[in-house]
Amino acid sequence: MVRMPLLASAVTIMTPLLLAATGGLFTELSGMLNIALEGMMLLGAFAAIIFAHYSGSLLLGVLLALLATLLLAAILGFATLYLKGNLFITGLATNLLASGLTIILSYRMFGNKGVVVFRDLRDLPILFGHHIFVYLSWLLLLVAYFVLYHTPYGIRLRSLALNAEVLSSLGYRPRRYRMVAFLISGFYCALAGATLSLSLGAFVPNMTSGKGWIALVVIFLGQKRPLGLLIAAFIFGLADAFSNYAQGAFAIPAEFILALPYIFTLLVMIGQSAYSEYKKRLK
Amino acid sequence: MGKKGDILALLFVIAVAILAVIVAILFLSKQPMLTLHYFFLGPLKNTYYIGNMLNLMSGLILGALGFSIAMQSGSFNLGGEGQIYAGAFIATVTSLYLGKLGFLALLLGALFSGGVAAFSGLLKLKWKTNELITTFLISYALVLIVNYLVGGPFLDPETNLIATRKIAPQWRLLRILEPSNLNIGLLYALIITLLVHLYLNKTRGGYELRMVGLNPKFARYGGIRVERYLLWPMFLSGALHGLAGGIAVYGTYWATVKEFSIGMGWNALAVALIAHFRPWAIVPAALFFAYLEAGSRNAMLHSDVTFEIISIVQAVIFFLITSSLLQRERRRE
Repeated sequence: MVRMPLLASAVTIMTPLLLAATGGLFTELSGMLNIALEGMMLLGAFAAIIFAHYSGSLLLGVLLALLATLLLAAILGFATLYLKGNLFITGLATNLLASGLTIILSYRMFGNKGVVVFRDLRDLPILFGHHIFVYLSWLLLLVAYFVLYHTPYGIRLRSLALNAEVLSSLGYRPRRYRMVAFLISGFYCALAGATLSLSLGAFVPNMTSGKGWIALVVIFLGQKRPLGLLIAAFIFGLADAFSNYAQGAFAIPAEFILALPYIFTLLVMIGQSAYSEYKKRLK
Repeated sequence: MGKKGDILALLFVIAVAILAVIVAILFLSKQPMLTLHYFFLGPLKNTYYIGNMLNLMSGLILGALGFSIAMQSGSFNLGGEGQIYAGAFIATVTSLYLGKLGFLALLLGALFSGGVAAFSGLLKLKWKTNELITTFLISYALVLIVNYLVGGPFLDPETNLIATRKIAPQWRLLRILEPSNLNIGLLYALIITLLVHLYLNKTRGGYELRMVGLNPKFARYGGIRVERYLLWPMFLSGALHGLAGGIAVYGTYWATVKEFSIGMGWNALAVALIAHFRPWAIVPAALFFAYLEAGSRNAMLHSDVTFEIISIVQAVIFFLITSSLLQRERRRE
């Protein structure tokens, strides 16, 4: 592997995190803890590279991945909002379905359940040393900021987390706003997944490996604000780039590196709840 | 809707799940009729296959009991995967070092997993940290750490598998339908089902536990020490998961094989959801899921689909089943 300077490598690593976190920001601000980011990202990664492979076009691959992931997000939203399922269980269903389905399909198409490398794919377009998704993630963060803070939809969506009843008493339907939030999170996760698989030129089973969970932490650490997300994602990118380096330098077992996202998410969850309890007691 | 409506809704969910598998096989397999044959009839072919299918029930029953006991007390334990795997690992390696005291190892495995789950209960008690998420995250980290231990420091160099050494023959559970894997562990699981049923429904502790689950404020008002029921059911829940893993090792595998129990926790969760957390209903639900699991293993072995096809069943059940649960809760209010 080419050794990139730490900073440049952090910028590359943070891209899928930032995209998924931006998508998750919509569901989070509407008052829903969306654990399905992981599964939607995984399906996006698989669909993008498969469709790019069969169509011979990266753009078509990404567009079809968007379609596939939106479908999954719609199923999740329908089961949660219209059938009134428990969000955590339906999110779990989404993750298990994505994990199983990508393996089932890859086995059907390529006869194995392992890593599938696609040598026929073209490289992602590069601009100033970074691939195109890096800039896309920044642009789409800006779009998210605009939608959330400067459109009626965004303002009403954000008010949902505070008090859904007020909104419905004004004649708006919270369910619709949340459904759209699920779809938007699916849209961003598809791009996050596409970034992962297309920049690697391969599909690895469960290749998101906890990035959906880290994206949730990025949302919390970023204080649920777009600029905060950018900073938090960059910190994670930097930490990840450093741990890659450390793994090589100090021979840390790969399993421990893989366990880090989960342990980190756990610590942030604990810290956040301890802090908010502490604040409550001060009052 | 009364009880009858509940059962109808459940049958509907199961029917949709089975339909989804059939559609998936028709889509995926190049010889769909043969695959369907292996999937649905394979597990019942002869005593060997039937024994192996029944053997899958032990872990499903114990795991589902574990999830249910936490659920009845109002807590979610979504860490079954890691608690089963870590419990199995602790039970295996302690047995290797305890010598004559090897029988204690199963208990140690259960204690360890119980402690892990109780830790999430403690966090909830102290800081209101969402136990749904902490159990899940700890479990994922545990799986990876045990993977490292099994493949590294505790690897048995004498096999081709990535596995620990095997436990001593005198600790292995009695096989009851040779040559299948069925062993006395299933009997233990059934006895524990009865015990959990009696505990929940016939003792003061079980009554208090359920009261806390139904309405913690009311329970506190009634003089129940609610804090106790944030910790104790979580401990029992983790311990039952750990025991599920331990019994899988002691009865079936005799060693902790890398990732041998992956999926068992989710399947047990599906069983608990189908049984609606009632101990006696867990047994038939476990039989149903063992049948599906055996079917998908069989279809993989003899035909051209992979084992992960069972994740479609899981997904359908998880997508649909809590919707009916929620309706039940609204009725209660």
